[in-house]
Amino acid sequence: MKTPARVSAASSLTASIGATWTRFWFTPAGPWPLAVVRILGGLLALALWASYAGDLETWFGPFGMISPALLGAWRSPYAVSLFDLTTSSAGLLVAYGLGGLVLVAVTIGLATPVTTVLGAIAFAAILHRGPMLVGPADDVVAVILWCLAIGRSGDSLSVDRLVGGWRGRSAPRPSVRTRIALGLLQVHAAVIAGAAAIAQLKGDVWWNGTAAWWLAARAESPLVDLTGVFLQSEYFMNLVTHAIVVFEIVFAVGLWFRAARRPLALTGVVAWPLVGLVAGEPFWGLALAVLSVGCWPPDAVPGTESGATSVLFPPIG
Amino acid sequence: MPEKTPPPPLSDALRAGLTVALALYLVGLALCVAGNSASGSSALVRTVKSKLFSPWMTPPWLDLGYDTRLTHGLAEDGDHRFEIRRLDDPAAPEPVILPGPAMYGERAARWRRLARATAVSERDPEREGLLPAAIGQGVFVPWHTDDVSLRVLRHLPPDRRDALDGLADVAGRDEQAYAARVRSIDGEVQLIGSTPREELAPLVKEPTR
Repeated sequence: MKTPARVSAASSLTASIGATWTRFWFTPAGPWPLAVVRILGGLLALALWASYAGDLETWFGPFGMISPALLGAWRSPYAVSLFDLTTSSAGLLVAYGLGGLVLVAVTIGLATPVTTVLGAIAFAAILHRGPMLVGPADDVVAVILWCLAIGRSGDSLSVDRLVGGWRGRSAPRPSVRTRIALGLLQVHAAVIAGAAAIAQLKGDVWWNGTAAWWLAARAESPLVDLTGVFLQSEYFMNLVTHAIVVFEIVFAVGLWFRAARRPLALTGVVAWPLVGLVAGEPFWGLALAVLSVGCWPPDAVPGTESGATSVLFPPIG
Repeated sequence: MPEKTPPPPLSDALRAGLTVALALYLVGLALCVAGNSASGSSALVRTVKSKLFSPWMTPPWLDLGYDTRLTHGLAEDGDHRFEIRRLDDPAAPEPVILPGPAMYGERAARWRRLARATAVSERDPEREGLLPAAIGQGVFVPWHTDDVSLRVLRHLPPDRRDALDGLADVAGRDEQAYAARVRSIDGEVQLIGSTPREELAPLVKEPTR
């Protein structure tokens, strides 16, 4: 039989979980962090989109390597792509061009309620058109674009806001939609960092400290040649290897502690691109840096419930 | 600057609906991470994910494992590239290397991923031969040919200790990960695989000293 004390403790725990959930997902958030994520994420999406330009016809053209027949046998039965509908070179170019324009609109914040949704759809479409070409940066940017579509990412630093100001519209209020988008960015930042750390730790090279060597000694991927340094100092190579994994774990876990979130988000903006540089996946590093921006605590941002200001996101005007 | 006045609170019904949607998505995210691991997944996770979550998480490109291992020091973690040569013209120029020297950044990385997928997918019975045939077929029209050889070369970095002791070049070496001849006869694409050299018995025994 349950005692009143146990019942009280259980209901208190339930109430506490409920309050935490409500505070995390439903506290209205200001538009700044998501607007910064929109600009940086949009630029990143554009860069990844542009990387298809030179080989568009070779890969996806009517006589291209990645034919619809191949995709039929390769992809998940649930996968769909708007590019499947383009059966001619002209149609392919038009679809690709329109997709690029939509991503430009996302980046500058033009008609954001529509273009962010279209941008996310277009980006997913090109990834589904050639799944064997997709890298880890594409996965992260796809998530970022969907989060931008969920939140009110055009409420600040955007053409929409500029036009709204000219028309005398009042400044946008903190929004629950934006808070949900930022919450999803934080969840994904933690999941992506944690999943990467787990995947890496399945390999011996991340335990014996030589992974950094195997990354640096590849022929083409690395952007900086660290083989000379790693040959000179085994300890430095070990340090770089272990630092990558430790950072990923600390980032994934620490984001959930209020005190650690701000320094981790700030560290992530610098550290993730460095990890990407060492790993030969610069866009992956940059994409995670953009996710880190989305993890900036909303109560330190002007326009949210506390109204406190910060150095990174100073108030306008 | 945004107004400081708080927005109207969400109704309980809307908040409950959003809570259910978010909880559903988070469960789907967890299952996708567990179900798309390179280590494989349990039958339970695979089935629940594929029946309940993949149908709506795959189209927006969210059915992902995010298991970016970067490297495990294995041969398949090295950089891969294509070497394609036309076979119907003895005077044909040098084979085409993809990614070529003029390609860089993410464009080159996409070619390397395609080459790697070509080599790795040969171990998958359901995908064996699909990509090599498609790649070969993809050059038939632009090259005005119907017979090419396709090789996937991968770069093997040296072991650090060997490089330090001078037993291996720091630049590493290349290894053939896959090779096949792709030709079209009467419109039908044929893939003629080649057996790795080390799997063939020597025809002539080396003289013993």
